[in-house]
Amino acid sequence: MSSRSSFEPIGLGLFLLLTVFPVAASLLYAALYGVGAVGLLSHGVTLDHWRRVATSREVWASVALSLYVATAVVALTALLALPLALALRTRLESGFLPYILALPLAMPGTVAAVLALQLLSGAGLLSRLAFRVGLTDGVSAFPSPVHDVALLGVVAVHTALALPFFVFLFVNFYTSERVDAFRTLAGCLGASRVQGLLRVALPILLRRAAPSLTLLFVVALGSFEVPLLLGRQTPQMLSVLTYRKYSLFDVAQKPEAYILALGYAVLVLGLVAMVFRGKRFGHEV
Amino acid sequence: MLATVVAGLSVLPFLVLALLSVAGPWEFPDLLPTRLRFDRWTAVLSGDSALAPCLGLSLLVSTIVALLATSAGFVTARAVADHPRRRLLMLLAYLPFAASPVILGVCLLYVYIRLGLVATVAGVVLSHTIFAYAFAVVFWVPFWNPEKLAYEDLVRTLGGTRGHAYRHVILPLSKEPVLVCFLQTFLISWFQYGLTLLVGGGKVDTLPLRVYAYVGEANLGYAAVASSLLLLPPLVLSWLNRRVIGRLA
Repeated sequence: MSSRSSFEPIGLGLFLLLTVFPVAASLLYAALYGVGAVGLLSHGVTLDHWRRVATSREVWASVALSLYVATAVVALTALLALPLALALRTRLESGFLPYILALPLAMPGTVAAVLALQLLSGAGLLSRLAFRVGLTDGVSAFPSPVHDVALLGVVAVHTALALPFFVFLFVNFYTSERVDAFRTLAGCLGASRVQGLLRVALPILLRRAAPSLTLLFVVALGSFEVPLLLGRQTPQMLSVLTYRKYSLFDVAQKPEAYILALGYAVLVLGLVAMVFRGKRFGHEV
Repeated sequence: MLATVVAGLSVLPFLVLALLSVAGPWEFPDLLPTRLRFDRWTAVLSGDSALAPCLGLSLLVSTIVALLATSAGFVTARAVADHPRRRLLMLLAYLPFAASPVILGVCLLYVYIRLGLVATVAGVVLSHTIFAYAFAVVFWVPFWNPEKLAYEDLVRTLGGTRGHAYRHVILPLSKEPVLVCFLQTFLISWFQYGLTLLVGGGKVDTLPLRVYAYVGEANLGYAAVASSLLLLPPLVLSWLNRRVIGRLA
């Protein structure tokens, strides 16, 4: 047996045990629970739970809210990171700025949510500042983005957390894709600076960053910690709603939790497959 | 000007958190607390606070997860990188990594219940490891490029054993990625909240759970202390990362 093949049984065995089995088992169990084939209140296979989910306004509101938050986070991140990367590109190549901008990368969602509470709530620092300069006349007059209908606080936290990473990513792509050279070439061929930016630089950068932006969409879509702290009781984002339905004393809600989990997993599977279609892994030819 | 604003906004959250952790009475509309108190930190440092055991438990869980995920990921990636169905295996490796931990955790809970792992440290370690391991596999696959495989074959061709190949070639080459992978998987576990809540059943009290518990009790001062402790390893590790990896490189 060659050294190469001797690694296979151990490595693939671990892979089956730690990745394939848990994912497959969990999806299968969720599918079976969703049709009433297993579970505490199982009375045989039925599509009742699926019907209830399909006609639930709470569920559709949650799906719409999650899609809206994920889309808003991706759009805002791209909109802010691109101009920042273009403006700070040279400053980020040396000096202290790259170290300082990298600091927020160390911040988990949990801590960011706590900080958002302190900064953005009705009695938070921004509200106090607004009161001091005479913009508001008290706690209730401040339009707080915490526990608000549009989940602006959740969108803001996720955007703030993703922003430094995408600024670095765009700066990196600007160099690796030789965007400067292409812009110069466009200029030589008669394009204005704005045309060079909009028709050359931005399409290159956005196309290269598309897989990362899609993964950001997936991360924001499945967000749990941040909306748990900054979101509303209703509607809730998908992860929070799934967890709530699962942990309720009303066991009749559990199949709905599993259907939501399954639906989310299938959606993410599709997105991941789409992102990595045509992507090369390692030394694959 | 823009660089200064960006730098200020990057540092501001850390300053606010530090201030909040030592803040005494801080009524609306005061912009600063009326006095500072350091007793929360003194209690943590002397081990009197409920945070000290949480900190220890979080460190233990994350270290075990990082060790398991890094080593298992290294071995698995070796098999995946050389496998004819590498594309499918890589797609599967991304699944737990990309899926929401809470949602996958809800689906997996039945398995944990059957194995008697709910509300145990072992269960929490296993649940974190599944996610960290998936990351480690994705991380290690590019390491096993044709060059590394050729080095291994070269040692064997020259009469060396597999042990020689690993001791003298592969492991020295993997020092830097081992460190990076260890740090990243440590942080995946360190920040984990939803899975710990689900699988730990509220009995495995790690730092992220403490943060939410304090927020629930409207105790923002202690929530800030717990958050600061949560931030310490990533900040120290990113500094170490730069120093140690810089030296190794």
